[in-house]
Amino acid sequence: MNVKFNNRDPVYVQVVRYFKEQIAKGFFEPGQEIPSRRELAHRLKINPNTAQRAYKEMEEQGLIFTEGNLPSRITKDEGVLKKVRKELIMEAVETFVHSVRTINVPLEEVLYIVKEYYEKADYVRGNTRD
Amino acid sequence: MNRYLKLVNFEFNRFFKLYIVLVIVTIIMQFFAVILESRGYMREAKNVIYGDMMSKADFIKNYEAFTMQRVVQSNWFYWSIALCVVVLLIYVFFIWYRDWLGKNSFIYRLLMLPTARLNLYFAKATAILIFVFGLVALQLLLFLIEMQIMKWIVPAEFRVDLPIKEYTDFNYLSVILPGSLIDFLLFYGMGIVAVCVTFTAILFERCYRLKGIIFGISYGLVSVGFFLMPLLIDTFVLNYYFFPVELFVMEVIAGIIVLIGAVWIGNYLLKYKIRV
Amino acid sequence: MIEVKNVTKKFGRKEVLKGVSFTAEKGQITCLIGINGVGKTTIMQAIMSLIPINSGEIFIDGSKLTKDSYEKITFIPDTITMPPQMRIADAFAFMADFYQSWNQKRAEELLEFFKLEETERISELSKGNTAKVNMLLGLALDVDYFLMDEPFSGIDIFSREEIANVFTSHLIEDRGVIITTHEINDIEHLIDKVVLIDNGVVLKEFYVEEVRENEGKSVIDVLREVYES
Repeated sequence: MNVKFNNRDPVYVQVVRYFKEQIAKGFFEPGQEIPSRRELAHRLKINPNTAQRAYKEMEEQGLIFTEGNLPSRITKDEGVLKKVRKELIMEAVETFVHSVRTINVPLEEVLYIVKEYYEKADYVRGNTRD
Repeated sequence: MNRYLKLVNFEFNRFFKLYIVLVIVTIIMQFFAVILESRGYMREAKNVIYGDMMSKADFIKNYEAFTMQRVVQSNWFYWSIALCVVVLLIYVFFIWYRDWLGKNSFIYRLLMLPTARLNLYFAKATAILIFVFGLVALQLLLFLIEMQIMKWIVPAEFRVDLPIKEYTDFNYLSVILPGSLIDFLLFYGMGIVAVCVTFTAILFERCYRLKGIIFGISYGLVSVGFFLMPLLIDTFVLNYYFFPVELFVMEVIAGIIVLIGAVWIGNYLLKYKIRV
Repeated sequence: MIEVKNVTKKFGRKEVLKGVSFTAEKGQITCLIGINGVGKTTIMQAIMSLIPINSGEIFIDGSKLTKDSYEKITFIPDTITMPPQMRIADAFAFMADFYQSWNQKRAEELLEFFKLEETERISELSKGNTAKVNMLLGLALDVDYFLMDEPFSGIDIFSREEIANVFTSHLIEDRGVIITTHEINDIEHLIDKVVLIDNGVVLKEFYVEEVRENEGKSVIDVLREVYES
């Protein structure tokens, strides 16, 4: 766990986001046990109260659940998991569209460039992996 | 009480190494004094008896028999005592200032101990007393050893052996080893009062720094003045009105008041005015 | 809770604290920020009754400091509080002797955490290690509150990281911490609350997450705003 936090967004929001990303990427699997609040604070080098706040937030959003005194786990609720993935995608698209719009590029051209770039990036990434 | 004793123990250990050095130097100096004086006397005796053909009896008559008095009056002996006195006097100051000095501010720790700060004061005073009495006891022991050494060097016919008391009664040693219990209580009682007044004066300086030096000195003068007041009034105002015994009692009371004052003010300063 | 109420302090004619008031809660890390020489250290010394104040009051959990409070609150100054000739083990023995709240097990745990040896002499420690020992002597007390004066200043980056790790560990958990710094970068994400001090007064007191959430500002942003106005 190595997260670079910015100083302007609430740290707990950034922690929640980090968890969502990990879930979307599949690094956190449904039902997987997550670190305790103290453990998380220690690993991310953040205030334990902030870690606590992040967990509370995630619990409210249904991202994690806690049964009795057991450690918290990532939700198994498919609906929530799908929602997380969609939310992240939508966020990225929104940002992208917003910036592309400001340069007045036609949609077809954008889609073409995106497709080309996406595949090329995939290729490059695939190569460097070897 | 418990923490007070621990503090005494701590203060004692802190000075112990230097103290041992002081003890060893004292022993060496005094042994030097005995050996130099005894051998010097015997050398002279030999020179006079064999060189000038004087009989032993005439020599002893003319030059006086050897006693410990000669040793006690010798430079080495005198300076050994002076050294101890000076070192302890300096330590009365250093026992406080060492806590503030240097990068390691031990005073923070001492002031943050969960115990009445007056215990620091008492512990330091007790440590000084222990060091003083340690040296006094050492002196008594040394006398016994030194007399033995003297006996090995100077044959019986050349010496007059007197009890220790005889050597200490009529010179500077009478202050350190008083002849009577009353004198002992009086001298060391005054010593304790002096140490406490000095401690409180030091605390004035530590609390108010530059201004504190003036406060400290003023406080010291007032204390001395108060202590001497019965004597001064009797001498200059009442023209020797009181009997010595009455004066003595008044002096003792004045001393006790000065002592209580020193401790009370010291306590107040440590509690409310001290700064790291 | 530690409450500092309207505290003033003069050194000679110079008024260092001109009516400082703030609170620090248990279970939170409160950070006193200000450039050097604005009286942060003086405030801590005043809380610990290591310096007399001219007026104002200070309460610890509702009552004034007494000798017994030193079992409940401790201060870690920016210089080590043990004589240089002591070995670490001697310092431990001293603490164990005088404090009921001394936790020998925790002390040993911390020794390991900081990778220090009991036999090392304080005078022979590096600057970073001296700071760690100093920190350790405070942290090994089972107290409710820690006051730490500039724990990060003047030490190497690795020691800094190790000391920063303390703040996210169980050592600090549920206890109240007041820490001073003139450089917020190292600990921006570690603290709960900022008390901004300048020129002997509290300019602003705020929770860092609240400011980020409500105003989208970093601590530095707030500092800049306050200083520039």
